[in-house]
Amino acid sequence: MTSLPAYIARRLILLIFVLLGVTILIFAITMLVPPDTRAMLYVRNVQHTSPDQLRRVAQKYGLYDPFYKQYFNWLQQVLQGNLGFSKTSSQTVAEAILTRWPYTFEIVLFAAPIIIFLGIYLGVQSAIHKDTIIDHACRVLSIIGWSLPSFWLGLLLLSLFSGYLGWVTPGPLSPDLMKFRDSPASGFTRYTYIDLFDGLLNGRPDITLDALKHVALPVVVIVVIDIALLIRVMRSSMLEALNKPYTIAARAKGLDEKTVIYRHARRNALIPVVTLSGMLIAGLLGGLVITETVFAFGGLGQWAARAAIQFDIPAVLGYAMLTAFIYVIANLIVDILYAYIDPRIRLV
Amino acid sequence: MTSKNSTRLKDSLVEVKNLVVRFYTYAGIVEALEGVNLHVKPGEILGLVGETGCGKSVTSFSILQLVPSPGKIEGGEIYFNKDGKVLNLRKLDEDSIRKIRGKEIAMVFQEPRAYLNPVYTIETQIGEALLTHRMEEFLKRAIETLEKTGKGSSFERKVYERMLKKPKSRMTRIMAKFCSKKTLKEEIRKEVIDLLRNVEIADPERVAKMYPFELSGGMAQRAVIAMALSCNPIMLIADEPTTNLDVTVQAQILKLIRQLRERFKSSILYITHDLGVVAELCDRVAVMYAGRVVELADVYELFKDPLHPYTKALLESIPRPGREFKSIPGTVPNLINPPKGCRFHDRCQYEMEICRKVKPEFMEIKKNHFVACHLYGGSK
Amino acid sequence: MSTKTRWERLKTEWAPRIEEWKFILRRIGESPLAIVGIAIIVFFIVIACMAPILAPPQGRDPFLMPNDEELASLTPQPVPPTTRHIFGTVISNQVAGQYDIYYGCIWGTISAFRIGIMVVAIALIIGITIGTISAYYGGILDEILMRFTDIIIAFPGLVLAMALVIAFPTLIPVDITQIILMLSAVFAIIFAAFKPERKFVLPTTIILVVALYLYLNNPIILSMNLTKLDKVLISLSLVGWPSYARLIRGEVLRVKNEDYVEAAKAAGCSDLRIITKHILPNTIYPLLIVSTLDIGSIVLTAAALSFLGIGADPNYADWGNIISMSRNWVSKPGLLVQFYHTFLIPGIFITLFVLGWNLLGDALRDVLDPMIRRR
Repeated sequence: MTSLPAYIARRLILLIFVLLGVTILIFAITMLVPPDTRAMLYVRNVQHTSPDQLRRVAQKYGLYDPFYKQYFNWLQQVLQGNLGFSKTSSQTVAEAILTRWPYTFEIVLFAAPIIIFLGIYLGVQSAIHKDTIIDHACRVLSIIGWSLPSFWLGLLLLSLFSGYLGWVTPGPLSPDLMKFRDSPASGFTRYTYIDLFDGLLNGRPDITLDALKHVALPVVVIVVIDIALLIRVMRSSMLEALNKPYTIAARAKGLDEKTVIYRHARRNALIPVVTLSGMLIAGLLGGLVITETVFAFGGLGQWAARAAIQFDIPAVLGYAMLTAFIYVIANLIVDILYAYIDPRIRLV
Repeated sequence: MTSKNSTRLKDSLVEVKNLVVRFYTYAGIVEALEGVNLHVKPGEILGLVGETGCGKSVTSFSILQLVPSPGKIEGGEIYFNKDGKVLNLRKLDEDSIRKIRGKEIAMVFQEPRAYLNPVYTIETQIGEALLTHRMEEFLKRAIETLEKTGKGSSFERKVYERMLKKPKSRMTRIMAKFCSKKTLKEEIRKEVIDLLRNVEIADPERVAKMYPFELSGGMAQRAVIAMALSCNPIMLIADEPTTNLDVTVQAQILKLIRQLRERFKSSILYITHDLGVVAELCDRVAVMYAGRVVELADVYELFKDPLHPYTKALLESIPRPGREFKSIPGTVPNLINPPKGCRFHDRCQYEMEICRKVKPEFMEIKKNHFVACHLYGGSK
Repeated sequence: MSTKTRWERLKTEWAPRIEEWKFILRRIGESPLAIVGIAIIVFFIVIACMAPILAPPQGRDPFLMPNDEELASLTPQPVPPTTRHIFGTVISNQVAGQYDIYYGCIWGTISAFRIGIMVVAIALIIGITIGTISAYYGGILDEILMRFTDIIIAFPGLVLAMALVIAFPTLIPVDITQIILMLSAVFAIIFAAFKPERKFVLPTTIILVVALYLYLNNPIILSMNLTKLDKVLISLSLVGWPSYARLIRGEVLRVKNEDYVEAAKAAGCSDLRIITKHILPNTIYPLLIVSTLDIGSIVLTAAALSFLGIGADPNYADWGNIISMSRNWVSKPGLLVQFYHTFLIPGIFITLFVLGWNLLGDALRDVLDPMIRRR
């Protein structure tokens, strides 16, 4: 059965199990917190509640019930969209996510393709020009990039470009443009909530440009740090493909070197890289927490970071669950892509 | 030696003279080939025999300048007689050598499924060879078909005509990208199915759409042979094509190869370690040991009157019922630090003082029977 | 029959492996990047060892950065490098004062080593155990364990670590006897599953019985106070082991069906013996590479957690912790430029430290990968 649809169907079934497992793990972490502490989430004024009152609240909300009972109640709530209340942002977790995802999306929109395509290009070039200056430079630079703490690189760039040179302000948009966007009188309609697109849709390309200016630095930070892995995997995979028998056979057929490299070797070399791209998304979502905090970008990452600092457990766990879900789905897409590129895998 | 060579040149298709190949590895410099001499006459099957590691594959790769790094061709000449013109393949530039690869000289390899790209169908890969070397022919066919059937757009036809007249212009390439080229692909597909049928693959339409891993070893090898023959090469290099196959499949492939020689009159350089196959298939044989051709003669002549001690020992070591099993004492020398003189000297029962110090020359001792051995005056 | 002594037998048994290691060391020595990496690591080891001399501790806990109260009374803002504080000072959100960055950087080296090595060690132990058992015994156990690792791997490391760190209660009641009982039960199960040699059965049963008695009669309950650093250690270990488990599972699966394992089974070796003597030595190389690289990335993650303020106690000598103050100036980048010294220098320490391990790991991979491939 080397058919693509059958493969996809099988992976979808597996997906559901993993997603369920993710929810169980998240819930288990919730249960690490003692019931009395968890009861504080249900109380409006924590300081003025006595431990006895807390215990009664815990009793009332079934916080002393066995694991499976609490889990099913919780799961029911989650499936209805109730992910809890985030005290740091004074909204429900669901609302917090919905209002903040556009900013995160802006960053990922640029960072992911740049990492993937630039990484593939540099990796292939490194492999073709093995052991030359290009190869060594790529390698050293990418190792250095991988060693940089993301918050440090962010702080450096922020202090240089924003503090010292004043080219850009912290945050996703310049303050006056943001005021304009948010004021009801301006007539600016937020169609997609993504400033990049909304600017064009409202006939204000300057807003789009401004958004681009502001998203540049966070994207640079993420790309510099995460591209090393892709370059390395692409390079070694490409080197392997170049030495494979089918590459020699392709040359023996009289094909020109370009075709041999790009049509034959690279297509095979891309296979492990495609798999890696899934993991890359996970790395991105994790790294965003720090980068968004440094650049005050107002996205999901910054929200999660602030929540963590203030022990806002529903928010952090909500973010964790979201990232895990995105990762699992991204991996499914990647697996399907993999099956499309490499027909051998469809038998699995 | 030179006068003898020039006469040889006139009636051989490919000649390898004193080929030296070295591999620069971490463990040291491997002297893989230290002066290989052989020649293939038009329309004949020359067998190249030797133990594993003696350099047979390296020799075959060298002819098409395909020696993989860290290997380098460092000496000798490789002559190819193309329609009367003698080309030195070592001195050709990349573009010219590419025109020869796959078109004039084609190769078939040992493990066919490893040498086929796993992510493309058979159809795509054979089609690729056809498009590389016979593009004009197929373009013309496509245009003919378009005229005859009247199907397909006029845009398509314009694209084909442009591809014929100005294949390298940017405009042509852009137009070609936007064109579906259905007719061209269909012509290629028909040819591929024909080719597959010629190598006795049953149900070629289905096989064409398969991926290499879906084929059995025998079928894959036939497909590879079909691919190699797709552009009507004048010489085929077959590097142990049946070693990894079952004996019954091997017999079928050998039969196929013989039929192909009859039909297309191409020469074949057949590499193997199996003397039985040599006896059955080849017209002439070259025996290799540790990076050198030590003997080259007609098949019957070689089996009847082997001159080189190694050949003699090889023939004696063929197990025969009723006879005691004889093997050659010693082991193949380490090619990183090979012995200075004849590389076989420490295992040779006729070893002389000179064998340890001086390399024997490859000389014609009897008519069309060449040996490299001091027993026959191998020194000049 | 064998006239060799035990020592001679050991030597011949290990000789080819020692040859291999010598070859590996030689090749590493030939790579300039590896030399730089090792030099950097050695540099930091020296700093760590000489910490008491380079930055004499003042007070009970050397890991608490000392507060320059005189300076604190003069100005509430961080002071750039001067002769008294050669890297400058940093202030803290929680406890007012001026803290010497130089001191923090020196003692932060020890913190970094501690976190990096301990987390990787613990994660390796857990990961190798689970991965090997999963691969060796296969079947449904393998499926379940691998789904479990899948679930953990689905989370970005930092995010899961964040969640764990804040969820862990600070005060845990620890029932020591229960732990002893659980551990002994686990060992007993492992031994039973591995079909051990006769000599192990008796001691195992004795330990189990003793543990049971202790648990039933004399429960010892302690209250353990987890510092933030402890929580970080536990969280990172829990987040890190699945990747090792998967890695070694892949290797064990590959090696499991090799001829020499079949031969060992036919010769009657117990499973434990096969695993420790035949399978593990041949599967450990990829883990060596990954764990070296991981020391660097664990330190980075821990620094990120400290930067957010959840990874270290106030004024703890930890590189990320020193930089965490910069969070306050992110909305006013002018301040960042003014107080650049508070993040520039500790950041250089982090980058260099991680760079050292990454260079070494990368060189190791260069050397070991072709070898692994050849196997």
